[in-house]
Amino acid sequence: MNKTTPVKPSPQPKPALIAVRKTCDAEGTGLSHYVLMDKQVKR
Amino acid sequence: MTATKTSMAEGVPATGPLHPLQPFDIGHPAYAALIEPETAFWGLERKDAQSGRELLDAYNAKAAAFSAEMDMLRFHLKPTAVYFNPTERCNLNCSYCYIPDTMRRGGENMSPARVLESLEKLHAYFSGHMAEGRLPQVIFHGAEPLLVREAIFAGIEAYGDRFRFGVQTNGTLLDDSAVEFLTSHGVGIGLSLDGPVAAVADRTRRRWNGDGVFEHVTRAIDKLQGYPGYNVICTMTSENLPHLTAMVEFFHDRKVPACMLNVTRCTLPGARAARGDDQDVARAYIAALERTHDLYLNTGRKLVVANFANILIAILAPTARRLMCDISPCGGGRSFFALATNGDLFPCSEFIGLPDFIGGNLFEHAIGDVLDSPAFRRVTGRKVEDVAGCDVCPIRHFCGSPCPAEAHEMNGGMDRKGAFCHFYEEQVRYALRLIADGRHEDFLWDGWDEGTEVACAIGVG
Repeated sequence: MNKTTPVKPSPQPKPALIAVRKTCDAEGTGLSHYVLMDKQVKR
Repeated sequence: MTATKTSMAEGVPATGPLHPLQPFDIGHPAYAALIEPETAFWGLERKDAQSGRELLDAYNAKAAAFSAEMDMLRFHLKPTAVYFNPTERCNLNCSYCYIPDTMRRGGENMSPARVLESLEKLHAYFSGHMAEGRLPQVIFHGAEPLLVREAIFAGIEAYGDRFRFGVQTNGTLLDDSAVEFLTSHGVGIGLSLDGPVAAVADRTRRRWNGDGVFEHVTRAIDKLQGYPGYNVICTMTSENLPHLTAMVEFFHDRKVPACMLNVTRCTLPGARAARGDDQDVARAYIAALERTHDLYLNTGRKLVVANFANILIAILAPTARRLMCDISPCGGGRSFFALATNGDLFPCSEFIGLPDFIGGNLFEHAIGDVLDSPAFRRVTGRKVEDVAGCDVCPIRHFCGSPCPAEAHEMNGGMDRKGAFCHFYEEQVRYALRLIADGRHEDFLWDGWDEGTEVACAIGVG
């Protein structure tokens, strides 16, 4: 995330079908006025 | 299960009358989307290579699990956060604020002792149900919480091992010692800035005497450079829409790690006057997102637009979302609640100023009873499938038909839409186009899917 070099996009294959679903325990807590993205800010 | 009635997407294979997957036109030259609305399961089919039953089979194989997951997310969460308003006062008079100006100008403050008493009560409540190893969040919010800095810092000092703390501040009181205290205690910090130059930013965010605060906020941003736990909110209004792309350039240039580009919540009349047109907001917002991608490609450094990242996550991993405005029922009163300065409890900060939505008082009532109060149930009982127009929308669980406070106050009822239907539709279309092009990870923060498991992965590496 803190890289400073340009990113070269690689050509993407075009699959006939794309479908993605990941799952986890729900823990969303935020409203739109504030968000903590990281689970714990590193001190 | 919703039956497909019409085909909206050119090239989408015909779906039968009882087919659970509904077409949704995403405006992509090569792909069309099919969505099962109830479970938020989706697929993107290449228009020239129809996949037949593969997507339906993938859905059928796990439909029960997807349904249970959405049921848990929508109806069985317990609160894990509180928006804590330690003062009614604010040193600013922003045009779109949802807190009435009488409160912000001359309201009450909590004493340090009252803040500590409140945290003790909240700790007692949360410790009854938090999962092992997880801490509840307390976000000092406002009005301007740093007006009672002594009180909230005492709370953070005393309860730092029992809560994860955050502060949402306008940044004007964030001096060196405040920055040192907050960053050394690992406190999340949210700032607000509405434009890349004073002439734009100061149109909406001003002191009571009319002076702008652009310079103060930019100084605060500079002081926080390198601290990973902060972000800046830009509220999109009619005043700053033409400058939104320059706004993200400004944030990126200042190395802001994350921002939010929020719509104006139209709960109070002042905000309705400041809001941008629904279609104009969508256009400016997507242009700004595209600009963040250019900046990432050019520099290798991301500026995450957190509210858009949340929409992407809602599509890729519904239970991993961090923000709870874009799910129905919304998080207000069920995954978080708001504490007002006098101890009154509201489903969300957005309702502070609307007495009908007081569910009880922290110092007089058990929080469990407040969550079950008629006032809270009006909000937690608002389901997107009961909102006219949303009930047949394929993306209803990527959007959630926000916001109940806005719908109630602006449009006359909980069964009405909010102010930005088109904006949410366009966000979802754009997000699905990014997935079709394999660009979506560029818009998410690294490690966003830590702790998730793959339930379905077709056509991805």
